[in-house]
Amino acid sequence: MNSLYVYLFVALFLFCVGLWGVLHRRSLIAMLISVELMLNAASINFLAFNRFLSPDPAVGQIAVLFIMGTAAAEAAIGLSIILALFRRYQSVEIGKARELKG
Amino acid sequence: MVEGLSFELLMAIVVSMSGLVTFGLIMVFTLRSINASVTVGVVGSVLSWLAGLYLFIHYWPAREAIVFQVNWLVATNIQVPFGFYFDSLSLLMLMIVVTISTLIQIYSIGYMAGDPGKSRYYAFLCLFAWSMINLVIAPAMIQLYIFWELVGLSSYLLIGFYFEKYSASEAGKKAFVMTRAGDIGFFIGLVLLFLAAGHLAVDVFSSGEKIAALLPNLKPLFPMKPETLLTISAILIFSGAVGKSAQFPLLTWLPDAMEGPTPVSALLHSATMVAAGVYLVSRIFPFYEASHTAMLVMLCIGTVTMLLSSTMAMVARDIKQVWAYSTVSQLGFMMMGLGAGAYFAGVFHLTTHAFFKALLFLCAGVFIHHFDTNDFFDMSKGGARKMLIPMIAVTIGVCALSGLPPFSGFFSKEAVMGALAAKHWVWLAAGLLGAAMTAYYSFRVIFVMWFPKGGAAGHVHAHGHVGHADAKEAQEDHGAHKGGAVWITEWCMLAVLIVLSAITLVLGFFEGDIEAFIAGAKEAATAAHGVVAEGGHGIGHTTVLVLALSCALAGVILAWFEYGARRATQAGFLSRLKPVERLFANRWYMDHFYRKLLDYVVYGGFTNTFTRNDRVVIDGGIDGFSNLTIGLGRVFSRVQSGLLQRNLYVTFFLLALMGLYFFLV
Repeated sequence: MNSLYVYLFVALFLFCVGLWGVLHRRSLIAMLISVELMLNAASINFLAFNRFLSPDPAVGQIAVLFIMGTAAAEAAIGLSIILALFRRYQSVEIGKARELKG
Repeated sequence: MVEGLSFELLMAIVVSMSGLVTFGLIMVFTLRSINASVTVGVVGSVLSWLAGLYLFIHYWPAREAIVFQVNWLVATNIQVPFGFYFDSLSLLMLMIVVTISTLIQIYSIGYMAGDPGKSRYYAFLCLFAWSMINLVIAPAMIQLYIFWELVGLSSYLLIGFYFEKYSASEAGKKAFVMTRAGDIGFFIGLVLLFLAAGHLAVDVFSSGEKIAALLPNLKPLFPMKPETLLTISAILIFSGAVGKSAQFPLLTWLPDAMEGPTPVSALLHSATMVAAGVYLVSRIFPFYEASHTAMLVMLCIGTVTMLLSSTMAMVARDIKQVWAYSTVSQLGFMMMGLGAGAYFAGVFHLTTHAFFKALLFLCAGVFIHHFDTNDFFDMSKGGARKMLIPMIAVTIGVCALSGLPPFSGFFSKEAVMGALAAKHWVWLAAGLLGAAMTAYYSFRVIFVMWFPKGGAAGHVHAHGHVGHADAKEAQEDHGAHKGGAVWITEWCMLAVLIVLSAITLVLGFFEGDIEAFIAGAKEAATAAHGVVAEGGHGIGHTTVLVLALSCALAGVILAWFEYGARRATQAGFLSRLKPVERLFANRWYMDHFYRKLLDYVVYGGFTNTFTRNDRVVIDGGIDGFSNLTIGLGRVFSRVQSGLLQRNLYVTFFLLALMGLYFFLV
């Protein structure tokens, strides 16, 4: 088995964990963490493909740096949204925020 | 064509625009100040009269039409010009219009004294004159049509001038709608002709040769021969004239139109509104001459109109109504003349009729103003014969109307009779019958007014005693009596009567001159005239003359024995034929017929269908659509549960499906 697949499987596992977390955790903070897991899975994929398949080693790393920056920004925005929701509902339970419905 | 701003062009602009300018001035600036409005109106119309007179004299021996025009609308090969077209016919008609509208504006100073709406009244008069003048001098049928409709609009405004009175606003509406009914035909005819010929310059329709040259060049519009197309459009255009000139099927609006102030009736019945129809036919007369069917239709409709309305006039008790019916019958008579091919006779009768009918109505206005009633039996009992000037004037008018020499009506009627005699004896007989009836009903009015019978009845209002009169009349009387203003108002009216009487007296003697003026320009046009109306007749000239005169005299004598003589009952022979009298008094049940037609066909048929269409199809359709939208929204809003994670589930599931699809395919 090629060592590329090891990385890819790890990334897949991480992604699935993240996805499960987003879909099933009640707490918004846990969902945010799960999203971070999914982003990390994507980063691992980038690095693995870059390491084993690309001639230029720099491209994947730059992409990962971008992902980290985006993740930081996303976390800041996400946390502030969570804070706003908390102020409104006195809770970070996603089940409370269900006013947007037909 | 004249380049640059010559003096003639300036005059033409003055005559054509002064009405609009004065209308605007009154409506915008002087609506509050009655005196200023009157001044503006009268000055404007006098100016346009002077300009018209200048043009008339300048072009007196007119041989060729003078045209100033600009292209208003140009599209590929279609041109719609606006401007002025002066030939002898339009100049003659222009003179009639400006003269009578000026006289009526002066008369109205007196008649409308004290009316709070006088400014509005003058504005509408100006608008009316403006529309009619531009109709008369239109160089193309499109312009004529536009002003034709404007004439209809302004007559609507003036007939319904006392709009707070229900009958007046109804009469205005009736006039507008009935003339519109004819105008639909007119418009369709114009469009047909426009599509076929590509343009509608009046010039093209003004001579027989040009029509003949036009025929082969008509585009094949439908599978129709050019002659058929010509006949159809001629008849359709004639239907416009039927509406405007109150001819047979559409005649009942005119007797109702007297709901307006009396000077308006005078204007409407003489020079502007109803004359427009006859003018239209004479404007494009060679065009009609090219189609025998159209001429025959015109002749028949004219005859029916003349006879019907004469019978109606024989039983009317309202002086304005008698004159209104007589207008209808005289218009029918003009149409007969034109239909018989006598171009000049029709036009000349239009000319003389304009003056004596204005005179008759204005006299009626003086009496109505004075006695506060429209019933001439009441006027007579109130002492109408003591008002010498109006009585003499009305007698002159009636003599002209009945065609007695030496008044102007005699000459023009005789010319028409000659044309009818040349056509066929049936038409002549109808014309003579009409003449007898005309003499009978008009002298009936005169004899009743000169020779009151049955003592002074108690219920007559003498001058100043306002009984049941409505507010307007009361105000009018009030205004007329405020101190020294009386003589001005009285003399404004009387002076106009005197002027019109004088014109009525002398106009007949200018028959030759006017004929030369009209014929001079038409010489080329009417070279191929089949019927030579002026000159040699089929039946001898003197025979026709004697016949016409004796018929008129028979009518006068009958009227004398029934209304004038010492022991006359003033009942009339028709009162012994009750059903006939009722038939005549109810206008042959034409209004009933129209009412039924409206109720069953328009309200019952169209309105009902359209209402149902509106309710079921349109409302139903829109309601259905909105219900569908709402229902769909309700269904799809279920998707939005508000549970964020369920939404995410769906999202990821769909994304996964898409990924699988792209992965596999």
